[in-house]
Amino acid sequence: MNYSSAKPKKLFLNCIISAMKSIVPKGIFLTSLFLIISGTAFSNDCYTINGESLEDNTNTRPFVCFPHDEHNENAGLDDNCARCHHVYTDGQLMPDESSEDSSCSECHMSQEKPNDLDLIVRYHKLCRSCHLEEKKGPITCGECHKKP
Amino acid sequence: MYSHYEFVTGPFAWMAFLIFIFGSIYRFYSLYKLARKKDGAVFEYMDLKFALRSIGHWLTPFGSRSMKLNPSMTVVTFLFHISLFLVPIFVFGHVVLWKENFDISWFTLPNIVADIMTLIVICSCAFFLWRRIKLPEVRYLTTVGDYVILLIVAAPFITGFWAYHQFPGFAAITIIHIISGEIMLIAIPFTKLFHMFTFPFTRGYIGSEFGGIRMAKDW
Repeated sequence: MNYSSAKPKKLFLNCIISAMKSIVPKGIFLTSLFLIISGTAFSNDCYTINGESLEDNTNTRPFVCFPHDEHNENAGLDDNCARCHHVYTDGQLMPDESSEDSSCSECHMSQEKPNDLDLIVRYHKLCRSCHLEEKKGPITCGECHKKP
Repeated sequence: MYSHYEFVTGPFAWMAFLIFIFGSIYRFYSLYKLARKKDGAVFEYMDLKFALRSIGHWLTPFGSRSMKLNPSMTVVTFLFHISLFLVPIFVFGHVVLWKENFDISWFTLPNIVADIMTLIVICSCAFFLWRRIKLPEVRYLTTVGDYVILLIVAAPFITGFWAYHQFPGFAAITIIHIISGEIMLIAIPFTKLFHMFTFPFTRGYIGSEFGGIRMAKDW
């Protein structure tokens, strides 16, 4: 999964980061980015799933704030990263492999004509199918896409 | 909550769509048979040119004398019908469901546009309700069913607005929103909501009779 650390209320940071990327030399940019991330990472445990590849356009719902560690603790997923960070090879699930080092979009937006919706749908299906199976966790739109 | 969600997005959704599609086909077939049996002249008088001329006038705001006489009704009804049609099909939250379930997608409306259009539908329904109660000539023609239909149409938009803005209890309201949309789909073939499909034929026939036989305008 591909996330950046920022509170939904601090989403404007993403805009600032994009703007900085275009005007600030790479080294300075990465240093300041690290400082911002480490600053916010200690203050909250909420990862905004924007995948960097998703556009924050005026038609979509607010980005999802995903409390990664809290979620895994509640769901008892501590050692089972591959439950979400799965690996498929030739359409077959590789049970002993996990993919937390790569971003979701690397596989799920790699088609010839990538579309934001392809990736959005993957998130929806992954989260909701498990929540329905376990009868725990959010299932309706607004329970994840909380208004800032 | 979970089992309700699974039911309204699963079996009940399929049932609603099937009743909507096959109910509409059945209604078309039975109306056609009824017209053949009781009023064969309808098919003799139908004329494409006069039909399209009449439909064109009635689809144009203030294109008929009746619309000029009732300007407030004209403005409300045009905004209402456009919003009623566009929002459910083009709001992002619905398109993403088509993508999830059938892997098809299309153009989506900006949130603010969908939000305003939803308010237009809700306010229009309030206007129609006021009109039914207050205007004697409308009240005279109103049955209980007309109020029920107004509720059926308004409910998906009220609950959709509630769910989108995340007012208290929005998770349960989202499920009621889904049910209310499904009830509307089921109601379309069997109520006067069916005019969404029959209006070109009723309007077209009146236009044909007035244009080709009576040699008069029907707008």
